[in-house]
Amino acid sequence: MLEAARIEAAGARFEPGSDGIARIVIDRPTDSVNAIDPPLLAALLRAVEDARAAGPRGLVFASAKPDQFVGGADLSLITTWPSASEISEACRVMHRLVSEIAALPFVTVAAINGTALGGGYELALACDWRIAGDAPSVRIGLPEITLGLIPAGGGTQRLPRLVGLPRALDLILNGRRLSARRALRAGLVDEVVHPAALERAARDRAAKGQKRGVSGGATPVERAATWLAPARAFAFSQARRRVAKETRGHYPAPEKAIQAMSIGLARGMNDGLEYEAQAFGELATSAVARNLIALFMLGLRQRRAAGHDLPTASAPVRIGVVGAGLMGSGIAQSAAVAGMSVRMRDVDDAAVARGLSAVRSLSEDAGRKGVFDRREAKRTIARVTGTSDWSGFARDELIVEAVFEEIATKRRVLKEIESVASPDAVIATNTSALPIADIAREAAHPERVVGMHFFSPVHRMQLVEVVRPAKASPEAVARAVAAGQALGKTVIVVRDGPGFYTTRVIGAMIGEATRMLDEGARIEDIDRAMTTFGWPVGPFTLMDEVGLAVASHAGETVATALGVASERNAVRVLADAGLQGKRSGAGFYLYGKKREPNARVYELLGITARRDVPQGPIGPAERLTSLFVNEAVRCLDDGVLRSPAEGDLGAVLGLGFPPFLGGPFRYADAQATALRDRLTALAERHGQRYTPATSIANGRRFFP
Amino acid sequence: MRRAVIAGGWRTPFVKAGTDLATADVLDMATVATAETLARSETDPASVDEIIYGNVSRPVAYHNLAREIVLALDLPKGIYASSVGMACASACVAITDAADHITVGNADAVLAGGAESLSNVPITYTPNLARALVRASQAKTLPRRATSFAGIKLSDLAPVAPGIRETSTGLTMGESAERMAAINAIPREEQDRWALRSHQRAAAGWDDGRLKAEVVPVPRDGRLLREDTHIRRDSTLERLATLRPVFDRSHGTITAGNASPLTDGAATVLMLSEDRARSEGRRDLVAIRSYAYAAVDPADQLLIAPAYAIPIALKRAGLALTDVGLIEMHEAFAAQVLATFRVLQQNGVGEIDEDRVNVMGGSIALGHPFGATGARVVTTLANEMRRTGTQFGLASVCAAGGNGAAIVLELLN
Repeated sequence: MLEAARIEAAGARFEPGSDGIARIVIDRPTDSVNAIDPPLLAALLRAVEDARAAGPRGLVFASAKPDQFVGGADLSLITTWPSASEISEACRVMHRLVSEIAALPFVTVAAINGTALGGGYELALACDWRIAGDAPSVRIGLPEITLGLIPAGGGTQRLPRLVGLPRALDLILNGRRLSARRALRAGLVDEVVHPAALERAARDRAAKGQKRGVSGGATPVERAATWLAPARAFAFSQARRRVAKETRGHYPAPEKAIQAMSIGLARGMNDGLEYEAQAFGELATSAVARNLIALFMLGLRQRRAAGHDLPTASAPVRIGVVGAGLMGSGIAQSAAVAGMSVRMRDVDDAAVARGLSAVRSLSEDAGRKGVFDRREAKRTIARVTGTSDWSGFARDELIVEAVFEEIATKRRVLKEIESVASPDAVIATNTSALPIADIAREAAHPERVVGMHFFSPVHRMQLVEVVRPAKASPEAVARAVAAGQALGKTVIVVRDGPGFYTTRVIGAMIGEATRMLDEGARIEDIDRAMTTFGWPVGPFTLMDEVGLAVASHAGETVATALGVASERNAVRVLADAGLQGKRSGAGFYLYGKKREPNARVYELLGITARRDVPQGPIGPAERLTSLFVNEAVRCLDDGVLRSPAEGDLGAVLGLGFPPFLGGPFRYADAQATALRDRLTALAERHGQRYTPATSIANGRRFFP
Repeated sequence: MRRAVIAGGWRTPFVKAGTDLATADVLDMATVATAETLARSETDPASVDEIIYGNVSRPVAYHNLAREIVLALDLPKGIYASSVGMACASACVAITDAADHITVGNADAVLAGGAESLSNVPITYTPNLARALVRASQAKTLPRRATSFAGIKLSDLAPVAPGIRETSTGLTMGESAERMAAINAIPREEQDRWALRSHQRAAAGWDDGRLKAEVVPVPRDGRLLREDTHIRRDSTLERLATLRPVFDRSHGTITAGNASPLTDGAATVLMLSEDRARSEGRRDLVAIRSYAYAAVDPADQLLIAPAYAIPIALKRAGLALTDVGLIEMHEAFAAQVLATFRVLQQNGVGEIDEDRVNVMGGSIALGHPFGATGARVVTTLANEMRRTGTQFGLASVCAAGGNGAAIVLELLN
């Protein structure tokens, strides 16, 4: 239990100060992070008690950790506490702390010197004033939603009272994490100063500032939406509608966050806080939150785990990109954002100019949206130069080849790269399916050729799949991993082979979806079943997005290699008939004013029978997802994947596997024997591609 | 003794002011020339010590354009940078300063060059209005602020564009060139012949790829600009003869056809110590053998100073004019080029062999972005010396104010 008396207090101390301005310094012992746990809560409660007793003129909350205020609740703790009621009780202790801070009779100021997320920002919210240092490490917000939780340290109550309901809804429901300057614009902090002036600014404010009342927004409209019941109801109904559309019922947290704000504004803060505590307990013990938290932790650990078994390598400072198309320009822009100097090549001026324009518009968009400031956008653009010859490539440490997915082209370009690259440069080929060993078959130095599978659009997709061919040196692989991480991506390392990991599993699933058309299923029924299940798009919509030619090429590569190629490739048939996908206006769907299924698909494939529910006892989404999971486990069994963690990260970040399920391996764990039984039944009915993978047949658990 | 060598140089296309590069400012062009010089010379930016850059018509925002290049390209922050000015010879100063820094051992790698956007000259207020604005900004009360503008007349409100006019003489460049033509008795026909030659040789230089090799593309509005836009392939003596004199309408000889045009562009040269260049395995090095500056009374022959700088530079190089196989001479005006030839001869420096001069045309055809021209001239000369195996070359640039520069290059083996 969490009664303060029984917990050893540690991590915060009260310092009275000689000039009437006291400090509470937060500094968790023997830990590099200020995460909120019971000892810290107890210490803060005691420090606040000391402060009240001392009665200073003002009080500053400061962190002794560099680049970090308070990070939020200790996630490992949340996932291990067994009962909802215990977690709710912990929330109530946090509530007592923030309420006591808010009730202090003197001016309180939070000096935010770094991360202030979740509970960390809620602590700051309880103060009268918040001042942030203008440092890149500063991130401010209530991102609990992204972990399947809600802010439960009073955040759902105090944020709308500070910045108004509309803005609070946006910040909480999207889990935004803002830089200091954007936090200032959003009203989350009152002042931004140079980090070196932070302490002085906080003390000045504590000495001269006033106690602060509740505003509920900066403009009359915001205040009306916060305080006037009808306006508020409108804002809530809008938010609920949007949330229902986005979550499709798979994520309960946003609805509960709305409810907490709604109760708090209608019935008062105490009722709101009580709802917060209850809801947080329920959410924190739910499978959804535990899966999302597990994924988040996997992502954090992957930064180190990606380098498992590899030598340490530093990220390249200068990279070359060959091919200035969609992928090439996207890779170039991401590298430039990461501060690398980029040389981009394509065969003619027109292609180079298009690539440079793409870099420019991506960077300018990011500048407009405030991802970074506009001056940084200009510098980003300037870091990329383009050329139609091979000048400037001899000084690059990493050269990424991103030309058309055709083996002869890739081999030829690789040869050209080898002729200009410096002897110690690493060459990475960006391909979604072609085996790297095949591409590097004629390479003079195959030991420095690796694969880097980027996902489109590069600036948004968080995954890079580094492909390790047998001949590649560990140093080359390590440099590709370091480069991917420097680009801000989560990097997984997989063994070479057709489709590697990601394309192999998605390819298997897409192939199965087209077989289901043959069985009489409707395009739109399968897609709808998949989105209802939690996939971002269905397989046919996906193929229309990437283009049918590309999809069929990737599919063939994978199917041939896996020995599951059917006598005809349905997607190839359609592509050859001119159905290219969304960009050409017609694919599995027709893209006119309104999108509708394309009847020509059935005609071209010679399919006549169409049934409403053709799938038998197992629905299309369960069937396709089971096949996907089975193929993922096979990748692990075959040694394509190094770990279940990389399998889950790859599937969620690269392929849109429903995050609330945690990834194929966590899903397999949760389903246990049910999955095996389902696969066995499907194998009997549809063939041995459904035969459970060894690990599934053996009932292996992938995560402890 | 340490020697400074030119390891390579590249420039943007030279484009008629107010056209394709009008919306690019001077920094945009300077960054392209510099980034491409680094890339094409395969140079690690971390190995560069310094940037020295020339710019004449300086935007208020770029007090030190050279340093803005470092920051805009996000080059290593430790590269110090200074901007230099000697009007049209600014980039010559950048290059010779760089050579000095290298030869005395203060630097091993310097980027030197210059840029000009004559599409974007800084337009200023009249002195009366400017002083009133400063007074108003310093005023503490509203009435005081209002009275700051009390003495302003209507005529003070018109913006002032910088003229290409000598402050000391009040004469424009063109008027000064008319004087030179008259003093040296250079007839209109000779000037037109020189202008035509400039266009013809520039066209040939593009056609056989020699000029293409020194020009890097500038990305603009979704395409790459690659070519100089001034060269008139359809020019003839007859057509040139029909143009009316611009500066002295009744007796003049100088027309838009035999003068250099207003131009946007930038050029950068990579200069290394010979040791550094050799240790990096660079070949075809061209060294700065000597240089000289000279100056004359602007009221006399404003642009004649190269005729005095050239013999000094040659003397310092231990060479005679006849030892020089190639000459790149900036063509502000055809009259100025021909007057320089004449004065060199009169002063006993020697007779100029025209076939060795501006073999790919000059500023009349290629264009003349003030700050960049010196680097363009040196780059063209060094490239042509490498190509033809010419041991010695001479570059000269005249400048407003009566200054002139001469640089002697030597091809090393």
